Amino acid sequence: MIKMAEDVKDEQKMQSAEPSAAENDSAGPQDMSAKIQGTVGRPFVDDAKIKMRGVNVFYGEKQAVFAVDLDIKENEVISMIGPSGCGKSTFLRCINRMNDTIDICRVEGSIQLDGMDIYESKLDVVPLRARVGMVFQKPNPFPKSIYDNVAYGPKIHGLVSRKSDLDEVVESSLRRAGLWDEVKDRLDSPGTGLSGGQQQRLCIARTIAVSPEVILMDEPCSALDPIATAKIEELIAELSENFTIAIVTHSMQQAARVSHRTAYFHLGNLVEVNETDKVFTNPDHDLTEAYITGRFG
Amino acid sequence: MTKAVSTQAELVERSLKKRYRAEKRFKIAGIISISVGIAALFALFIEIFGNGIGGFSQTKIKLDIVLDSEELEIYDVNNEEEVSNGYYEGVIRLALRKKFPEVKSRGDRRKLYSMISDGASYRLRDLVMADTSLIGQTKTFWFLADDDFDTYFKTLLDGDPYTARVDEKQRAWVDQLIEEGNIEKGFNTAFFTSGDSSEPELAGILGAVIGSLLTLAITLALSFPIGVAAAIYLNEYAPKNRLTELIEVNIRNLAAVPSIIFGLLGLAIFINLFGMPRSVPTVGGLVLTLMTLPTIIMSSRAALEAVPPSIREAALGLGASKMQTILHHVLPLALPGMLTGAIIGMAQALGETAPLLMIGMVAFIVDVPSWFTDSATVLPVQIFLWSDSPERAFVEKTSAAIMVLLLFLIFMNTMAVLLRKKLERRW
Amino acid sequence: MVIFDETKTGDKSEMDKMHLDQHISQQFNDDLEQLREHLLAMGGIVEGQVEDAVRAIETADTGLAEKVLQVEEQVDREEIELDEECTAILVRRQPAASDLRLVLMVTKANRDLERIGDEANKIAKMAIAISDQGGTSPRGYVELRHIAKSVQKMVAMSLDAFARFDVYEAFKVVQADRQVDQEYRSAMRELMTYMMEDPRSISRVMNIIWALRALERIGDHARNISEHVIYLVRGMDVRHTSLQEIEQKLEQK
Repeated sequence: MIKMAEDVKDEQKMQSAEPSAAENDSAGPQDMSAKIQGTVGRPFVDDAKIKMRGVNVFYGEKQAVFAVDLDIKENEVISMIGPSGCGKSTFLRCINRMNDTIDICRVEGSIQLDGMDIYESKLDVVPLRARVGMVFQKPNPFPKSIYDNVAYGPKIHGLVSRKSDLDEVVESSLRRAGLWDEVKDRLDSPGTGLSGGQQQRLCIARTIAVSPEVILMDEPCSALDPIATAKIEELIAELSENFTIAIVTHSMQQAARVSHRTAYFHLGNLVEVNETDKVFTNPDHDLTEAYITGRFG
Repeated sequence: MTKAVSTQAELVERSLKKRYRAEKRFKIAGIISISVGIAALFALFIEIFGNGIGGFSQTKIKLDIVLDSEELEIYDVNNEEEVSNGYYEGVIRLALRKKFPEVKSRGDRRKLYSMISDGASYRLRDLVMADTSLIGQTKTFWFLADDDFDTYFKTLLDGDPYTARVDEKQRAWVDQLIEEGNIEKGFNTAFFTSGDSSEPELAGILGAVIGSLLTLAITLALSFPIGVAAAIYLNEYAPKNRLTELIEVNIRNLAAVPSIIFGLLGLAIFINLFGMPRSVPTVGGLVLTLMTLPTIIMSSRAALEAVPPSIREAALGLGASKMQTILHHVLPLALPGMLTGAIIGMAQALGETAPLLMIGMVAFIVDVPSWFTDSATVLPVQIFLWSDSPERAFVEKTSAAIMVLLLFLIFMNTMAVLLRKKLERRW
Repeated sequence: MVIFDETKTGDKSEMDKMHLDQHISQQFNDDLEQLREHLLAMGGIVEGQVEDAVRAIETADTGLAEKVLQVEEQVDREEIELDEECTAILVRRQPAASDLRLVLMVTKANRDLERIGDEANKIAKMAIAISDQGGTSPRGYVELRHIAKSVQKMVAMSLDAFARFDVYEAFKVVQADRQVDQEYRSAMRELMTYMMEDPRSISRVMNIIWALRALERIGDHARNISEHVIYLVRGMDVRHTSLQEIEQKLEQK
């Protein structure tokens, strides 16, 4: 316990230093090469939708994510929190291989979606991304009409053949994103003309139009005002009935509000995963405690 | 406390004055440099306009022509060869002699004949050939005056006659013509409807303009697709390694290579190696393609890079393939920038002279080219040629041609701006 | 009766765990520290109130009893102020984890302290009533004195446990409360017997019983505070839990 207080001080001093130095918990007699003495809490669940084991991510020589083990349950909302540069976004982007677009990024370990290894060399990322959709930090609608924005995914994946079916998909997606009533009279106007919050909901509608199983959200509300944020959070709660959602957020309150489980990342390590209520009232790990109470970060 | 505050305020006050003075000086320096630039531009414009405006008008002389078949030596109006070989010059001279009966001596007569352009007889021939029924009639025609008279008459109208090329007698004739109202200044249609000529009053820019358009057509058709394709590959597909870096650096360097080097390259490759003909728009277009490619590639890459990465991410995140992402989202957003770059590249190519000199497009070509393989010249080269000609009348032709070229350039640049405004989408 | 090893006291690290002074926001540190000090100050007042009330009843000192009644008003004001401070922290800082538990604990302990003050008030009133009745029957005083001593110690210990974030100290209070409850029950039985033996003393003994009852309630509140301390430090809810279970849970950490 005494060690803990020192650790926190160490953290503050050497944020950029070798993670292993800061992470040494007194927990067990693991060998020194291990970067972290495991993850505390409940990283594993039965019948996981996504099963990640020993995920390491490198940017060139620099390692950004260290041996993360994590399960995500079906229809669960799991939030990932942690200080800037803790690797949470990088980790999230592994799940639909968005990291492929970065040349120097390398991912090790196994990530299974319903038992299928998504990093298998033969696997095509196109169908994977149809199954694992993504919503980004900045609302990024295409500079096209609202209708085309939502219809784009179903069109390129050939999910619908008739125009009437497409109309239906567009309407139901917009309805589920809670945007239909606001835009039904101007589906032809550009999506970029909407307000920030509406744009983000349009992006969510665009994502769910493809009927993915998993939706990854990378700080979806960081560019939005509180009202728009509340709407998105409400939407996340509704969507969790049908989708598995992993959300990275800088707002601890948001994580506390929307998620069932919360994962805390620190310097590329997954420190703690627990029920959200537990994490925010009585976290198991001292680093988590220090972070969520604002003692560093 | 209060005292300290007041001293601080005073200090600021004092330093303020100094700052304002410095700021004023800074501003004045800027205004001066801009004024110098604008003054230079105006001087250029005034010079060109002053010289060139005369190029768009032409002196004409009215003559009553008796199209006597005897004089014309045309006996069978249906014999085309005979009609075409008719002695048209004779009837014009006859008309001149009639108008100035007091001119008797051989030398004076020659001077008299020289008042009318050499092209007059050809024009008359064309008219008669088009309508043989004219033969035997007496008709009134306006003929182009010869360049020396043209210059004299126009300068006379401006109040400062240029008399170096006309003597007393000739001036008297002109005065007589003015009195009779048989000489006047009209719009110079020949300038826009004919090719080059050694006679300034007959010389036009049509051949050069068509030559330029043909050359540019080739340049655009080749450089835009190649440039855009290269830019897309380099930006979206090429791995980041030594080779691509080298290519990039070289493209940048090529943009800075003097254009005459491209002319030499074209001469060596297209003409000497591939044996293509000289002076043709095709080769000119190929050379200019080489020259504009770096510009287009660089501007296209800049346009591609300006597309926000979030749009790419959005498309990729939805499961679009790389090609779909590029074709559906990146290219439409980058196109305005690419087109602007292309137009600016074209404008550059339009004004280019040096490389075309190397591949022989500097030849004296009278005929207006009609196809890519016809011998041709281009506007800037035409300007270069005229500026080199000794005749006084070519000075105004040169300036007039420069005005036309400038007009084209302004038009293209305006197009670039308008296109950009119209196509540019906000995101 | 003592289950717990007496030598075990809160080690230093338990206190460190709270490290109220390590927030990025210095203001937040100050707010929390002030909250803690304020609660302790209020605890001090209430502690004094209990002590005065007990002495008043023991020595039949009406003046002292009156003083207790006056202090009560101050305690009420303190309670409201403390609640406002808690609300302000909740609103401004949205505390989480240990900070959240501290604020929650303070609101609850605040209420318990105020109740302790109320009970002390009742004892003071009984003191006045007993002294008004006159008479010198010593019946019930022994029990009263004994229980009062235990309860006073419990209050002091619970405040101490909070001051040092010491769960072991807090646990001792929980243990002690069971003892006090037992003593209270046996005292009641005894006083019942007195009343049956001597019906004339009923009203007087009844006053003693009321005072005893108040003391017992004070003990309950002290136990509540200690339970909140355990929640604060360990994040586990030990209300309505048997002593063994609490001990097991404490040992687990």
